[in-house]
This record gives sequence, structure tokens and C-alpha cells, in this order.
Amino acid sequence: MTEQVAAKKGPAAARDGPGLNVLVGTVKNVIREALTDPVTYLANWGRLYSLWPVHLETACCSIEFGAVSGPRFDCERYGILEAFGSLRQCDLVVVHGTVTRKMAPRLRWIYDQMPEPKYCIAMGACSITGGVYFDSYNVLPGVDQVVPVDVYVPGCPPRPEELIDAFLLLQDKIRKQSIR
Amino acid sequence: MSSPPAKIELPNEEKAILDSVASKLGDKVKVLFAKPNRIKISTRTDNLVDVAKFARDELHFDQCANVTGTDFPKDKQIEVTYHFGSIDDAGLRRVILAVACRVPSTAPEVPSLIDVYPSANLHEREQAEMLGVIFKGHPNLTRLLLPEDWTDIPPMLKAYRLPGRLESE
Repeated sequence: MTEQVAAKKGPAAARDGPGLNVLVGTVKNVIREALTDPVTYLANWGRLYSLWPVHLETACCSIEFGAVSGPRFDCERYGILEAFGSLRQCDLVVVHGTVTRKMAPRLRWIYDQMPEPKYCIAMGACSITGGVYFDSYNVLPGVDQVVPVDVYVPGCPPRPEELIDAFLLLQDKIRKQSIR
Repeated sequence: MSSPPAKIELPNEEKAILDSVASKLGDKVKVLFAKPNRIKISTRTDNLVDVAKFARDELHFDQCANVTGTDFPKDKQIEVTYHFGSIDDAGLRRVILAVACRVPSTAPEVPSLIDVYPSANLHEREQAEMLGVIFKGHPNLTRLLLPEDWTDIPPMLKAYRLPGRLESE
């Protein structure tokens, strides 16, 4: 019975002309305007404190990352905790140093398996420009040829404080981003 | 003010190796240098297998420690050097015998020593892809270290140029 009523109402509403559509569109805009700020705040707040990096260690900078994860520097208090389970749970890839040309397709493969939204931090001189291996036949001159990079952390290797600073910069960036 | 370096006396094992090489091989090889712990001789490619068998059977070098290569673009030659070492012979453990042979870089073909020294297998594959040297008789001369999609010339040749950002220099 209700289905028949709805079927009768549907085309009737469309025949009423543009007036009703304009009203509906305006209400939609008002609701969207009212909801965008709090929803964006909530979504960004949720992403902000649950940055889970991929467990991917390509070079010696991973030692510093181990120090950052450890109890002395303890990046878990900012919500950054290495996810060992699956790439589907991760939303951050920290490129630890040198990426060879053979490793580059694998890095892109890992990046493609992660769900949106995803972020990337290039850690160390090697992953930014190639570092001391800049003229090697086998080392990528900058990891941003393969994946889009959000934050660059210079140093060889960077101190743990610098990496924590990069995490805070990335959280600032997420806090200001708009959602669609 | 520096005084000239004192003449170093060769140890007995190296002297014995030099004597044996000079008496048995004769014209087949040429001694490039002889220092304590290291002797380098050069030979032609058609004598290489004989020299390796002599080093294994008579001189008691029981393993091929390394295979290296150098590109000489002015001479248009590639030098392939086999480094032989010993584990069983206590007196020879510190000695390395390097056997070098030069081939033209237009047709770099060297006989494989895999029948004499099986440990040369991976080293020859590495030199094959880094320098483009073809080791005749090697059973599995395929891609080892370079990326699977490598299409450039072998990277250890002097003619190799870096692609990408450094190309404009």
C-alpha cells in the first residue's frame, strides 16, 4: 500500500516545477554548511591520533625509527604505533633511507595496497635526494619519483626528535585538511 | 725527508709459487707483480682453463674467492681477474693468486671456470651482468642483481651514463 502511494507521489513531486527542487536544494546546502565543520573536525581528529606506519625497513634509518618507537622517545603518546598486522590497517608509510631501483616498484606496490587517506614521510638524506649514493646506478635519486611525499626529514640519519617533529608537522597538515 | 721503503723479502710460499709457475707454465703466463700475500699473473683466454687447473692441482688453491672485472676504454679491452685462495693448505691461507686475462670489449668472451672451480658460479653471473662479459660454458648466465626491468647497458662499463636528474650535467 505504501509503495503505491510513494509511486504516485514521486512523479507528482517532479511535476510541481522547480520551486520545490530549489527549496530542497537550499535546505541541503544549509545542512551541509552546518555539518561540514564538525564532521571535518571529527574525521580529522580521528585520523590525527591513529597514524599507523607500515613496517617497511629499507635502510639504516630504521634503527632511529626503532628508537622513536621505543620507551625513551615513545612516539606512541602521539598516537603513532607501527602496525604489524596488515597493510590494509596502515595509513602512513615512513621511507627509511635508501630505496634502490629494484625496491622502487615494491614500495609503490605497498603504497597502492594501503587504503585512503594515506600519507608518506621521506626520512633521511637518501630518500630525499639519494644522499651519498646520488650518482649510483642503482639508487633512486629521491623517493618522490615513486610515491607522493608529505613531509621531508633531512639528516643522515635524523635524530629521533626530528622524526617526532615530522610526525607533529604531519598532524598539523591533517588537522587543516578538508574532507569531501 | 722520507727514506725509500725497505725491500720486503718475499715469504717462502710465494717464492715456491713463483718458481713453480715459471718452470711449469713458462710462456703461457706473465707475472705482473709479486708481493707478500698477493701474486698477480696474466694469461691469454685460451690458456685460462689450463692455468686454473694448474692452480688447483699443483699449487693447491682450492677455491675461487672472487671474480672481478675492469673496463679499459682507451685500450678497448675488458680485464677479467680470477682470485684464487686456499682453505685446506695452512701456509697458503693468507695468499691470493690473481689470474687476469684481457679480452676485446667488442667481443668479450671468456671461458667459464665453473668446471674447475664450482664456486665461480655466482661471481661469473655478477660480472656477466655488470660488464657484459659472456662466460662460454656457463650453464645459467641469467639476471642476478640488477632490477628485472633493466634495459640499459651494463652499469660498470665506463660508457654508462646516469639517467634522470643528472642527465643535464
